[in-house]
Amino acid sequence: MDVKHKDFVQFLSVPALCLYLVFFVYPLIQGVGMSFTDWDGMGRAAFVGFDNYAAFFSDDRAMNDIRTTIIFAIASATLLNLVGLAYALLMDRRFPLRGLVRVIIYLPAIISPLIMGYIWYFLLQPQRGFLYHALMQLGLPDFVGNWVLSYPKSLAVLVAVNVWQFAGMTMIIYLAGLQSISCDLIDAARIDGAGSTQIFFHIKLPLLVPAIRINVVTNIIGSLSVFDIIMSLTQGGPGYSTESLSIYIMRMCYGNKTGYSTAVAMMLFLIILIPVLVSLRLTQSKD
Amino acid sequence: MKTDRILSIIRIAALVLICLTCLVPFYVLLVLALNSPSRIFYEGNIFVPDFFFSNFIEAWHESRIGQAMVNSAIITSGTLALAIVLGGLAGYAIARRKTRFNKFVFGLLLSCMMIPGIINTVPLYTLMRHLHAVNTLYGMILVCSTLALPSAVFIYSTFISSLPMELDEAAVLDGCTGCSVFWRIIFPVMKPATASFVILNGFGIWNNYSQSVFFLQSRSKQNIPQALSVFFQQFGGADWNMMAATATIAIIPVVAVFLVFQKQFINGLASGAVKG
Repeated sequence: MDVKHKDFVQFLSVPALCLYLVFFVYPLIQGVGMSFTDWDGMGRAAFVGFDNYAAFFSDDRAMNDIRTTIIFAIASATLLNLVGLAYALLMDRRFPLRGLVRVIIYLPAIISPLIMGYIWYFLLQPQRGFLYHALMQLGLPDFVGNWVLSYPKSLAVLVAVNVWQFAGMTMIIYLAGLQSISCDLIDAARIDGAGSTQIFFHIKLPLLVPAIRINVVTNIIGSLSVFDIIMSLTQGGPGYSTESLSIYIMRMCYGNKTGYSTAVAMMLFLIILIPVLVSLRLTQSKD
Repeated sequence: MKTDRILSIIRIAALVLICLTCLVPFYVLLVLALNSPSRIFYEGNIFVPDFFFSNFIEAWHESRIGQAMVNSAIITSGTLALAIVLGGLAGYAIARRKTRFNKFVFGLLLSCMMIPGIINTVPLYTLMRHLHAVNTLYGMILVCSTLALPSAVFIYSTFISSLPMELDEAAVLDGCTGCSVFWRIIFPVMKPATASFVILNGFGIWNNYSQSVFFLQSRSKQNIPQALSVFFQQFGGADWNMMAATATIAIIPVVAVFLVFQKQFINGLASGAVKG
């Protein structure tokens, strides 16, 4: 083989590396530096040591945002997987219009979460939304209630809308997993006298474990940086209670607390690193 | 036998209910978009709209959503093109030349793959300001393709590794040089990998908001979500009919693309899931 060409081909990864170093790695490293300064985005920055981090831990709003972010991520990931798996089990057999049903269930997942938040706002706005009027017209009590004034209810609505929107995505992955299980295995179990419940818990579920692990980890990581849906559905309200860390970073940046906002970003980074490391560990053990 | 029948009825009922919950919000959006602003709120049967189509005309003119759609289309196609070219080249190098350097590139991209963009957005913003790339479409394309790059490199390098090495060797024997092996032999057979990259990333780029809220603030450069959020904040929840009409217009392109390519899309996601 021609050595010269071989040498050239091995450097075809350089353009990709350059783009990534300039627009991802460099800002990431610079962010670490910025988080130790009091920079306001315009003037000169002074080194303040760990002041931003100290401020972070004594900042009630930041502590609340950490709690909201983690609760949202864990609740979303759990429900997304339970609902997605339930949908997949319902879909895992032949029936007429199956393709259409799959498309309908997946449809919400392709819409921008920001726009989805606005659509649900039209539905759920207390005393004004479509559901309130529909319930009144059908003579039913007001199930919607004034959720916008309560932190737990607002958070529950955010989780519910998020799960409603993305259950189709986890369903597709579980459905693919279920369909890759060989029919012979199921038939053999059935001949041995196993019922549907036994088949599910003793054959299907163990074989789905890799899919479950990957699904849970990616859902947690995705939900920890939640941004769009909160911006359109609650704007972080009531007060700042349903604000996520991502939104806090943006608001601090616009509030000319650039140094502090990068410190918050580093804290979010550390939180996200936990599930990321777990997932890297899982993929390595698979190899 | 009888319990089987009951079970299948429950299954059908559950599926109908699930489909309804998935579709009702879209129906409500359409009803709101088609109601006349003068309609006394929800008098009469609220499930039947007024078929007042001028909301759409007004929404189109007021919101400048058309400009936002053009911007979103440019950003999405530019991002996909850049990530496909750079990711394809890097994937080829990583799959075929396992040097220490290429292993480093692959490891770096893979370990940063799951870090969300918001972590470095603030310092990135200052960098973009120095480059005069804030409020430009090319700036947004650079930001988005950086975020999509690890996924592209991962998909391409996995795909090219699965191609037999004999393919390259035969091409070299036939007189191809290193680069023309890529363009003439590998690139044409990369279509399935490109399709799964587009399927996994296309809608996310089109719907991007957490980057566009920083990098596309000037009105003529906004993408769809950013334009919609600015427009809605401006109305502060006042004119629901026009807001709903704008949101309807905004989701038409994605819904249309999804319905046309739904088979390839869902199969692509499913096969990606089994392999991943």
